[in-house]
Amino acid sequence: MHIPDGFLDPYMSAATYAAFLGYTAYSLRRIGGALDPSRASLVTVLAAGIFAAQMLNWPIPGGTSLHFVGGGLAGILLGPYLGFLAMFMVLLVQTLVFHDGGITALGANMLNMGIVAVLAGHYVYRGLRTRLGDFAAAFLGGWLSITLAGLAAGLEIGFSPSFGYYIDVTVPVMTMWHAVLGVIEGLATALIVVRVKAVLPEVMED
Amino acid sequence: MMEPLARYRRALLIIVVLVLVSPVFGVILAEMVGYHEPLDVAAELVGLPDKSEELNWTPFFDYTVPGLPDTVGYIVAGFIGIAAILALGAVLQRVAARR
Repeated sequence: MHIPDGFLDPYMSAATYAAFLGYTAYSLRRIGGALDPSRASLVTVLAAGIFAAQMLNWPIPGGTSLHFVGGGLAGILLGPYLGFLAMFMVLLVQTLVFHDGGITALGANMLNMGIVAVLAGHYVYRGLRTRLGDFAAAFLGGWLSITLAGLAAGLEIGFSPSFGYYIDVTVPVMTMWHAVLGVIEGLATALIVVRVKAVLPEVMED
Repeated sequence: MMEPLARYRRALLIIVVLVLVSPVFGVILAEMVGYHEPLDVAAELVGLPDKSEELNWTPFFDYTVPGLPDTVGYIVAGFIGIAAILALGAVLQRVAARR
């Protein structure tokens, strides 16, 4: 899921950085006074948890594998702005300390995992929790978050004047695989959300 | 910083356990199955060049630690990453406390 250096056309790199920086400015304004020390701790612990969970790959014999992304979970637990902040902490450390994700692709990776995935998780869960219950809503939020993040990454790497336009290849491959493997992301998200709601109901974003 | 985080002691313990078991999934099983992600599949199909190694700046590239075997290095890298996130969290705490 982490786009490395070399995969993005410079124009796409610049465009995704612009989107990421624009959303950062908007988020900081929206967070405003909502960031008290207690919420800051929650953001930090969730970021640390997502970082650790991303280290556990799901090895699928003979096939394509993936790892937990956590953007949907962050959106459900913290909302669209603090969730973005948690994912920013994760991706910044992954990029700068471990070069997991390229520096030229940080904007794209943040767009996919920190914005698209977070917003998908947040709005799907909020929209469906009353009708479907917490587990099903969180499952769908987690599943759609990684599927849409995969679609976004497919568009970014495929829409590339330098390498030729390969959207017809990259979008189906990225979307299909993430939709299939995203079932695991959905299950993990649902189990964590239900557990957090049971033991720490006050941390759930309203 | 310490007092608010103490509330999440159990979560932090789970994070430590996740990091300790992470090489089983992130190194051993990943090597056994030839771990590759959908992004790798798409990149191979269209011939995108991964320039990570030639542009690299960090000694901890891809969760390795110089001089350590991959499994142990993966754990140490995990704790380095957690420490870096907690350091960012400490900055966040200061900002939040000033508001």
